[in-house]
Amino acid sequence: MLAFVAGVAVSTLAITALPATAASDPGVSATEIVLGMQLPQSGAASPGYNKVDDAMRGYFDYVNSKGGIYGRKVRLVVKDDQYKAGLTVSSASSLINKDKVFAFIGSVGTQTHISVIGDINRRGIPDLFVNSGYSGFYTDPTVYPNSFAALGTYVVESKIVGKYLKDTYPTKKIGILYQTDDFGRNALAGFTTAGLTFEAKKTAVNFIAGTQGSLGLASQLTALKANGVEIVIVAAVASATAIAVATAAQLGYKPEKWVVTSVGSDATTFQTILGSKGITPAVSAGMLAGIISASHAPSPGEATDEYVVAFKKINDDFNKGPDKRWDNNVLQGMNIAYMATSALFGVGKDLTRKGLVSYIENNGPNISSAALSPLSYSRTTHEAFKSFWIGAYDGATVLKPIDGTRVLYTTDSGAGPVTVSNYVRPALPADAIAKGA
Amino acid sequence: MRKFIATLGATALIVGGTLTLIPSANAATPTVVTTDGKLTNGAAYTMKVPSNFNGTFFVWNHGFRPSFPYPTYTPPTGVDELTPYSVNRKADVTAEMLKAGYGIASYDRVSTGGLHGWNTTDGVEMLKDMVDTARAKVTNIKKVVVYGSSGATPVINQFIEKYPDKADAVGLLAGLSATSASIQSACDYFYLLSVFADPTIKGCAAFGVAKGAAGHMASLGEFAKAGALLSAWSKDLGAKPLAYPAPLAAAGIPQRSALLLAGLMVGIPTKSSHMDGISTSAVVAEHSINATVAILENSQDALGTGTFAGQAIGEIVGPGFYDNTKTNWFALLSAADSGRYNLGLSGDDAIAAMLGVLSMMPRVKGDPAAVAKFKALDAINYSSDKPTILLSNEADRLVFAGNSALYVENARASYKARLAKYKAGTGTKPVWNTFAMYALTPETYTKFSDAGLPDLAGPVAESGVGHQSFTTAQMMGWVNLLAQSAKTGKAPSQKFVASSIFAKIDPNLSTDPDFLPNLLKYKS
Repeated sequence: MLAFVAGVAVSTLAITALPATAASDPGVSATEIVLGMQLPQSGAASPGYNKVDDAMRGYFDYVNSKGGIYGRKVRLVVKDDQYKAGLTVSSASSLINKDKVFAFIGSVGTQTHISVIGDINRRGIPDLFVNSGYSGFYTDPTVYPNSFAALGTYVVESKIVGKYLKDTYPTKKIGILYQTDDFGRNALAGFTTAGLTFEAKKTAVNFIAGTQGSLGLASQLTALKANGVEIVIVAAVASATAIAVATAAQLGYKPEKWVVTSVGSDATTFQTILGSKGITPAVSAGMLAGIISASHAPSPGEATDEYVVAFKKINDDFNKGPDKRWDNNVLQGMNIAYMATSALFGVGKDLTRKGLVSYIENNGPNISSAALSPLSYSRTTHEAFKSFWIGAYDGATVLKPIDGTRVLYTTDSGAGPVTVSNYVRPALPADAIAKGA
Repeated sequence: MRKFIATLGATALIVGGTLTLIPSANAATPTVVTTDGKLTNGAAYTMKVPSNFNGTFFVWNHGFRPSFPYPTYTPPTGVDELTPYSVNRKADVTAEMLKAGYGIASYDRVSTGGLHGWNTTDGVEMLKDMVDTARAKVTNIKKVVVYGSSGATPVINQFIEKYPDKADAVGLLAGLSATSASIQSACDYFYLLSVFADPTIKGCAAFGVAKGAAGHMASLGEFAKAGALLSAWSKDLGAKPLAYPAPLAAAGIPQRSALLLAGLMVGIPTKSSHMDGISTSAVVAEHSINATVAILENSQDALGTGTFAGQAIGEIVGPGFYDNTKTNWFALLSAADSGRYNLGLSGDDAIAAMLGVLSMMPRVKGDPAAVAKFKALDAINYSSDKPTILLSNEADRLVFAGNSALYVENARASYKARLAKYKAGTGTKPVWNTFAMYALTPETYTKFSDAGLPDLAGPVAESGVGHQSFTTAQMMGWVNLLAQSAKTGKAPSQKFVASSIFAKIDPNLSTDPDFLPNLLKYKS
């Protein structure tokens, strides 16, 4: 077994001198780097997502225990916006003016982040590793020069999954249920680019994001059923996926396959939502089994993946959140913090906002990550991952490569083809801390 | 179901009204010498000088007043406001200013002939007359501050460029920057309501056609039509499906989505006196619904601006000043708003349908001469080097806070251009001397009944909402900064808002040096 966490006494961080301070940028001093994050910690949209921040903080606490980043401890300040854009705006103001963060990191939600991304960029604040796959945030860095993704775009993922479906189920009727916002539109565009065709209100049905709980999705699923859809794609958040699957069961609608975008397939959220409707974990695990999805990262259940093993141990030792059960949300949180640490080390001791943005743009593919896809950051795009593998959930809610062999596919957010990627992820550093490119 | 707003009609406007001046006898100490008189054109003025007068003299200019009466409103005669007056608190700061040792004056802004209206040109000369009169009668004046609100700010801005030596500091409270930018949006609101709700609404196309009392009544008729439909929508939260235009009739889009769309396209604040844009309940289930009710609550003032200012302006520049033939309706709904309020707008399909149909509707073609005069109305060069301090409410529904942001933007552009010329060897070295303050709303303040209905009758939010409605602390903070700037010749740096001193003025003033309110939809 690899030695992955410093049970060793000697820190591998060599601090030769006090780091230079960025005199003009808030949130960074000789002793501290302050990062800010917004996400739904409470409210209907929170299940699952509300674990990401604790996982990030756990990783940063691990790094701090090893001396921090050039002697600076990383402090993560988190604001609960309840997935309400009005609170996203006010909490962003608080992070900027009261907490004086050096950068935003890992903010969750497309429709909430869209309310603040313009202002964050106007102020020149780095907006790192946003948990949104909306391509409009990243594909033209002249629009949002300081914002970088933490996910592959929905277009990229959908193109890859769309091609797989077209190739694998050429005679099956494929339909899509999507939420009418940038997330859903992006995904629909990707599936369409891949060559799938849909007919509005018959094989392409939608719902207004946020109404899945109050209005249910019965009419949409009834339409898909009535039009003979055999494979149902769900391009929506995880709570909508859970409601869709449960509602279909109530309607007696049994698609041959469910296909769910990665953001919407989180097992924790799926089971929590169904649990609130009285469906036991054993039953919901059965409902999740067989669902096809995609990922750019190892599954949290991959017991031999060195990053999973390392992050899991750090999570056990340092995550102080109320629910630290290991799952995809925790893995994602750990990875974001890991990437951020890599970038912050890479910039060097003279840490400035501009310097950080420039570093990420110029060293994107070399920033360390647990993902099985390279990072794509450059001056021409701030997308994160352009490669995904396709899997299906097993009975234990673990996403596993279809047919047992993981194949990484890659494409762009435009009209480029889907091809196989030969990327090999670099080995994890011995202490699970990447110190720059 | 309760009505959410009082029945709108011509009776419900808040512009104007009569005031009771604070008698000088009510001032704590000091004793006050009051002088009443008349300017050259016969307009009344009042001056008050306290016994602890410190040499700084403030000349107040109140905002636009319609020239003709309507129910609950009589055009003021005499001095209408002596110092800045808060509509929400129903109080001014006369006592506070006298106690602080400032001399104060104000005057009846009525033009020669007895009419108010949009009288910027007259106003500039009347202000000069007032300042000269004050200096002649109060011989120990050291510094003069000209300050005013709303529709008076074009007067002040033109005054200080024409007579730069007549004042030492300028205060703009809830002020207009580019008049045509604000009125264009108000006119857009009428137009959008005509498209989605009542095709008989003519809005700004009708303003200025008739003049005087007849024109005033015609404009009131337009206001009443808009008010009536908003009242109808308030009864059921705009739940009925749109009936107009015909292509949308079968779409099932609720009226409130069109209201929200129109409000967002015009820039009406999504916070109001009682609605914070965030809070939810069983009835107001999502924040975009809260924002829709906010727009409904704000609509009265927004339409009032369009109606009375529009009519008054139409009489000056000529009818047909509103033209939307070149307006890109899609561009007026930002991606951020489309995403943030997606649910209230009934989703992407509904947005696309409404905007698509809107873009195909007949446009309003204006009269080119009137349009040109409209765009040039109240034009200034932003060339004053006098310290200028602006104060706006984040959610001002009558003169949007974006006016202050636009003023600062234009002032900065002018400053940079003059600086470049100076460096090239021409002109004098310009001074950057502009400081903007914003009063914010509390984060959440909407109250709901047990049934989940928003309380629209209770106390309004303590800060940040309404037009010319500020706390005493906010107003006096602004006044004191003006006085200080008049003395030093320098407005504070914008970084000053982040200081502990500034933070002590009022807890709801923005302490963010980079704060920007929602920007105006137009710049000219």
